[in-house]
Amino acid sequence: MNTESKIGIFLCECGGKISSRIDLPQVCEQLRYESWDHLGVYPYPCLAPGIAAMRQEVEAKGLNRILVAGCSSRVMKKRFPNALASVGVEKYQVEMVNLKDHVAAVHEGTPQELARKAAALIAGSIANLKLLEPYEPVPLNFEGPALILGGGISGFAAARELAHQGMECVLFSRALTPERVLDELYRTFPGCRLFCGELGELFREVFAHPLIKVMPDQPIDYIIGGVGDYRVGFKGPDATVTEVAGSAIITALDREFAGADTDYLGGGERVCDLLDLEERLIEGDDSDFKPGKMLFWINSPEHGQAAQEMATVAAWRDSLVLAREHPQVKSTVLYPANVRLPLTGADLVEARAHGIGLQSYAPEVHPVVLSGYLTYVNPSDHLEHELAWDNLVVSAVPGEPVAKSQELLRWLPIYPENGGALKKSHVKFWPDQVPDESLFFTGSAGGLCDLNEVLQQGKKAARGVLRLREKALEGRLVSPVVVQVDKDLCEGCGLCTEICPCGGIEHVKPGSVALPREADNHLCTGGGTCAATCPYEAVRVLNNTAQQLEARIKALLGRMQADEVLGFVCGWGGLASAEQAAVKGLTYNKGIYLIPVNCLGSLDPFILSKAFLSGAKSIMLAGCTPTHSCHYAYGVDHCWHRVNVVKKLLSLAGLERRRLAMGYVEVNEPESFVSMVESHMDGMEKLPPLPQDDKTKARLWAIHATLHRPRVRWVLGTSLRRPTEKEFPGSQFNAVDADDTMLDVLREEFLAARIIKALGDQLLNPPGIARIMEEPVKNITPLLPDMASEGRITLKSWEGGYPIYAVGKA
Amino acid sequence: MITFSINGKEVQGQEGWTILEVARWHGIEIPTLCHHGALEPYGACRLCVVEVNDGKRSRVVISCMYPIRTGINVQTDTPRVLNVRRWIVQLLLDESPESPKIRELAQTLGVTPSRFQKKGVDFACHLCGLCVRVCQEVVGVQALSFSNRGLRKEISSPFHTASKECLGCGTCIYICPTGAMEQVFLRVHG
Repeated sequence: MNTESKIGIFLCECGGKISSRIDLPQVCEQLRYESWDHLGVYPYPCLAPGIAAMRQEVEAKGLNRILVAGCSSRVMKKRFPNALASVGVEKYQVEMVNLKDHVAAVHEGTPQELARKAAALIAGSIANLKLLEPYEPVPLNFEGPALILGGGISGFAAARELAHQGMECVLFSRALTPERVLDELYRTFPGCRLFCGELGELFREVFAHPLIKVMPDQPIDYIIGGVGDYRVGFKGPDATVTEVAGSAIITALDREFAGADTDYLGGGERVCDLLDLEERLIEGDDSDFKPGKMLFWINSPEHGQAAQEMATVAAWRDSLVLAREHPQVKSTVLYPANVRLPLTGADLVEARAHGIGLQSYAPEVHPVVLSGYLTYVNPSDHLEHELAWDNLVVSAVPGEPVAKSQELLRWLPIYPENGGALKKSHVKFWPDQVPDESLFFTGSAGGLCDLNEVLQQGKKAARGVLRLREKALEGRLVSPVVVQVDKDLCEGCGLCTEICPCGGIEHVKPGSVALPREADNHLCTGGGTCAATCPYEAVRVLNNTAQQLEARIKALLGRMQADEVLGFVCGWGGLASAEQAAVKGLTYNKGIYLIPVNCLGSLDPFILSKAFLSGAKSIMLAGCTPTHSCHYAYGVDHCWHRVNVVKKLLSLAGLERRRLAMGYVEVNEPESFVSMVESHMDGMEKLPPLPQDDKTKARLWAIHATLHRPRVRWVLGTSLRRPTEKEFPGSQFNAVDADDTMLDVLREEFLAARIIKALGDQLLNPPGIARIMEEPVKNITPLLPDMASEGRITLKSWEGGYPIYAVGKA
Repeated sequence: MITFSINGKEVQGQEGWTILEVARWHGIEIPTLCHHGALEPYGACRLCVVEVNDGKRSRVVISCMYPIRTGINVQTDTPRVLNVRRWIVQLLLDESPESPKIRELAQTLGVTPSRFQKKGVDFACHLCGLCVRVCQEVVGVQALSFSNRGLRKEISSPFHTASKECLGCGTCIYICPTGAMEQVFLRVHG
């Protein structure tokens, strides 16, 4: 692969949409002294004649980096790589600068002014492209059975589907006979055990099939490996660990229903919930059911309509079983009118035949339970009616995901959302774009749904595994390289594994020594928060590295004016709303230069300090809303912490904290983005640019050096929210104390960095250092011996009763 | 190399290019609604009609899908083309009276609503399908689709519920020329 970079820049006129607002010949003129191998202006690079012209240039000049300056990369990301693949240009070698939506359509100003901005953005991209590295995907093996963990019902459907297609699988289940599975089913899917005739067939087939191995479910000790080669350790009752290897993991997790609070209603034996009733139906005989009226009341609107719908079906099925097996009991189902009655016409005919009443009530007026009666308002006549009962059955509470989930959450990239539902980490978006399903998560723990849907989910997951196997057989299953861990730098601290939301960084067996991590790029979503966290800077996102970003902002800042502002936008909320502003015809201050990043969580804090060091006046960051819309679990959240640390350092250095501002915006809120930019720019107008004197420079240098210190990065990393944590760290118990600890560490390290800067390459005694730093001597003297013992400075000699220090080891 | 002419100007192109692409490359504007450089041609709006004369006879065709051939003579604004285009805009205007793009077109071409105009529409969508196609072709998922037919045709997620496929990337809102996608997005993304 050609490693020497040959950059081709293609400027798009977009049929006048860009060329009428930006003076493109002027852009070319300003880029004249940048290093490129081709630079040209094209009317429509995206149409066939444009593509042909690009191909021609690529072939004639051997270009291996393509920069298209035109419109949104979100829309065009496939067009150019696909079209240029035939001339040997790889997907990662194509980059886009959005002149239309970031410059032409959103700013007022002359074409010449906008040309300067366009040239600056392009120069930044050129600096980024120069540092691209060749990249070769790694082929994967895919051998061994699929492992079905979690014990959910969907696992059975998945196992059968896999077996039918001739793939081996191992199913871990708490119940070890088909009958037992059926008996336990009511806890997760009330009303299904007694009704689904085919379900018994499914379980019997799974237990009997030669390709399916059913193993008792034991506590999981570890899950290691990656797609194609997973190893799961199970802890036996005698603490021995057995390892099972497999090619893929299907996680089937359900939600367990809990009993309703029937004590609240009183009534003793006569009032029960659906779960109690089902237990009696399974175990009891005819004598348990005395003749009388049984009323199923679908209550608890607080659990949502889906839960009420499921409860209605469960009640209907139970009443049908009662009618068939215990005809002395007459059942009525009272359901809220806002729920669509999920029954078919045939069901209704059957209900009439068995004399089962189905009655809706107006949900606005809560029914009242009386002894032997229940009053409700009929939605058709708005009159209050009464229903007599001898036994009252209320619906069960859809509880938490099964206990097994907690165990698996530790190892798999699944995390709980607000509201208790589990969610798997987001589909891959970069660099392979298409959601490549390689983690299969099924069951009602992900969202309340009925049995049929859960079984379908299981089947779908199995098909996903089969697709992976098919790909592997054809030799097409490759692992893209997204994240690399430098084994020499890695100390095996495991911080990256802890905060990784996608499970892309490999887990290490518990109890083993600190081992260098490895990345499973099949699961990696490219959020990059691991790279920004690593205390030793050993993790990097390939072709999206901090070094590239540093080069980019340096090139960009070199062309920006002193009062202009740098803006980072995340690839989702920030970028999308910025581009949407252009589509909507909104305009904003042209003094902000937007740099898109995949996720704000991938921004290393030292990028921010580097920007200040390179002369940025202020920085604005725009990301998704942390509570619900970040596409990388808690990327924005992590960024907030890092911004906070940089702000602390700014105030330690005596600079304005508000030079750094963070904003949150949704994909479809361009107005919010514009007001965010305007507000920040207005605030900044009153501030002068950062002073360029030596004192300020030395302090900015010290901020930058502080953010490279493993100790600072470690403390920062440990305070970030983990993907399994539900609580926002801002609301933690000891927020102020935690922040104080952080501040202490920063104060110490910042001072140490300033001492090193003051020493430079001189030999100085403490008063000498203090004079340069303009600090009292007593502030720095306690730190010097510590720094000497750490090897950051050396005690060279003694002179006049003072130690003489120099930078570096002895 | 294929040589032919557009509006009397001699132009060249390669096998597989369309008239619209060559025309735009040479700065000859042809109005379109459903065409986008990032997507495959679709031929839904029919607005890009041109007159093609191959020496034997003259036909009105859609330029976004018509492959170029040697010797043809393309005219983009003859009275015949304009007449057909006016009729197309008339139909589009009656179908989607609230679309700002179509209103603009109607104004420039002097088209006014007919008595067959769809009533009670407060929605700007003109069913160009850009959002559906970008979701499938570029984003790689199928969170959006057309549903219903004829007068009741609309853009929605399958089964009109919040789609599990939807990534929430907002590409559909970006590509929508009318702004109607903002409302649909809320429903689809959930």
